[in-house]
Amino acid sequence: MKDKILMIVFVLVLGSILTAALVAVNYVTTPVIEKNEEIATKSSILRALNIHFDPESVEETFAGNVEVRRRGGTTYYITKKDDIALPYAGSGLWGPIEGIIAVQPDLEHLKGITIIRQEETPGLGSRITEADYLAQFQGKRFTEGLETVQPGRSSRDNQIDSITGATMTSEAFISIINENLREVIPVIRQGEGQ
Amino acid sequence: MIAVHLLTIFLAAILTHNIALTYLLGMCPFISLSRSLRTASGMGFAVIFVVTLTALINWPIYNLILVPTGSTLIYYVVFIIVIAASVQLVEMIMERFFPVLQAAFGIFLPLITVNCTVLAVSLFMVIRRYNFVITIVYAVGSAAGWTLAIVIVAAINEKLKLVGDIPKGMRGPGIIMVTAGILALAFVGFSGMVNVQ
Amino acid sequence: MRRYTGAKGQSLKTFLNGVWRDHPIFSMILGICSALAVSNKVENAIAMGAGVTFVLLATGLLIAMLRKLIPTRVRMITYMIIIATFVIVVDRVLKALFPDISQAIGPYVGLIITNCIIMGRAEAFYIQNNIGQSLIDALANGFGYTYTLVSVAVVRELLGFGTILGFQVMPEGFTKWVVMAMAPGAFFVLAIFIWIGRSLAGMEEE
Repeated sequence: MKDKILMIVFVLVLGSILTAALVAVNYVTTPVIEKNEEIATKSSILRALNIHFDPESVEETFAGNVEVRRRGGTTYYITKKDDIALPYAGSGLWGPIEGIIAVQPDLEHLKGITIIRQEETPGLGSRITEADYLAQFQGKRFTEGLETVQPGRSSRDNQIDSITGATMTSEAFISIINENLREVIPVIRQGEGQ
Repeated sequence: MIAVHLLTIFLAAILTHNIALTYLLGMCPFISLSRSLRTASGMGFAVIFVVTLTALINWPIYNLILVPTGSTLIYYVVFIIVIAASVQLVEMIMERFFPVLQAAFGIFLPLITVNCTVLAVSLFMVIRRYNFVITIVYAVGSAAGWTLAIVIVAAINEKLKLVGDIPKGMRGPGIIMVTAGILALAFVGFSGMVNVQ
Repeated sequence: MRRYTGAKGQSLKTFLNGVWRDHPIFSMILGICSALAVSNKVENAIAMGAGVTFVLLATGLLIAMLRKLIPTRVRMITYMIIIATFVIVVDRVLKALFPDISQAIGPYVGLIITNCIIMGRAEAFYIQNNIGQSLIDALANGFGYTYTLVSVAVVRELLGFGTILGFQVMPEGFTKWVVMAMAPGAFFVLAIFIWIGRSLAGMEEE
């Protein structure tokens, strides 16, 4: 009988201590983590739109230059010059790829792309985060969908060079971009009354 | 297309993203068990079995229970309990119904609970948001890759002991690390392979 | 290598044992798992070392405190639950304070749970010793683990990236030893450290 009581006391004591620790840490850290993520997203939006900012004043620059719009369950961002940014997400080869696409006011050409998270192979697939690769997207036309081609072979204005040795990741990435644009651009068109 | 994707993940988990030689996980047993090929392969099979089983259980628990109820904070605790419980269960079943298997690799089971590989596969499943099918393929592939690595290192080590004149400080863990390092270097050579069209 | 014993200066002996004689990595070859993967950069090594030390201290404290209450049959699972909880704490705090490092070593923080050092110390020491001694042992093991990790990381970051803690140390024209930034480099550097450590301590076969 004493054993059983001891066991119960033990479970209660241990349970309370551990739960208290978890609740406390969760309470303190969750706001900070969410804030970090918000700032990361905002920085990404600013970078995609090619708006220069000081790392110290992301919030202010964002508030001063970008307006948030919601329409039909989609959130997108518009600047004073009518450049538009929208978040994208999809599955890469190894895990989710998420980031921001910025498009020009004509809703036919890209302005820029950023990547917020990806889990592709370091040194191969994850080279999609390199500035040189992403710079290719600027100015490309996406109305008929973007295409991947062998490195160095891109000629048309909707073609992107894939990364050597990372064909599957490059293709997955382009599909994600195409898919997201296909879904969201019509909604934005409606929202902006075009 | 899906089949190709699954095959890619499976091959990559063994060759280019080997959980032991690329992610450097599951090292503790490497040191103690790569003395003999027999113990290494015994441990390997046990690992494949437990990793797959725990991934099979952890996926539904995470995606169908923890996520909908917003309790993902405690997933580390839940996973480790599932792993410990699964291993206990497997031990009991083996003792009762498969005494031959029990004699062969029963001793490895308690060690597997603290093998980083088991927990790692479940953790990666969460981080990369794998669906159920990919999780299974990834689990089996990773465990197979780990087994391949430990078996090769054990085989090399057995021969090395017969022939080599290893410096005193290097004997045991030291030389195993060096062997594993050379093997890891060799596996880097597989890098471009899985992404070829 | 003599083990420090005797009643006098018990605390000092406990500390010295943890740091040298029973050094988690060199002599016991425990906790290698995470040691290899996060030693590519010094900042990652420090973060991991701090995390492991914290979990050791918190686990040591709690187990020593409750040692009379913990039923023998469930002690293993108890260790695991306690360790897992404190690892969640470390993971959250790291994500909040240093999101970049958290991104870099994320999954490895979770794997502190299976780090043999902590389970090993819990079973070998904390369950049988008072709070004071347990905390000292935790600090010693944590310190030993951290300085090993950082030593390996200094070599790997210096040769693999030319920097230490992000500060350029190697001259401009230095060709980076890419192997040091990858898995094989970790194996080799650790092997050399083990060789040096064991030769100095006069240990042979394990």
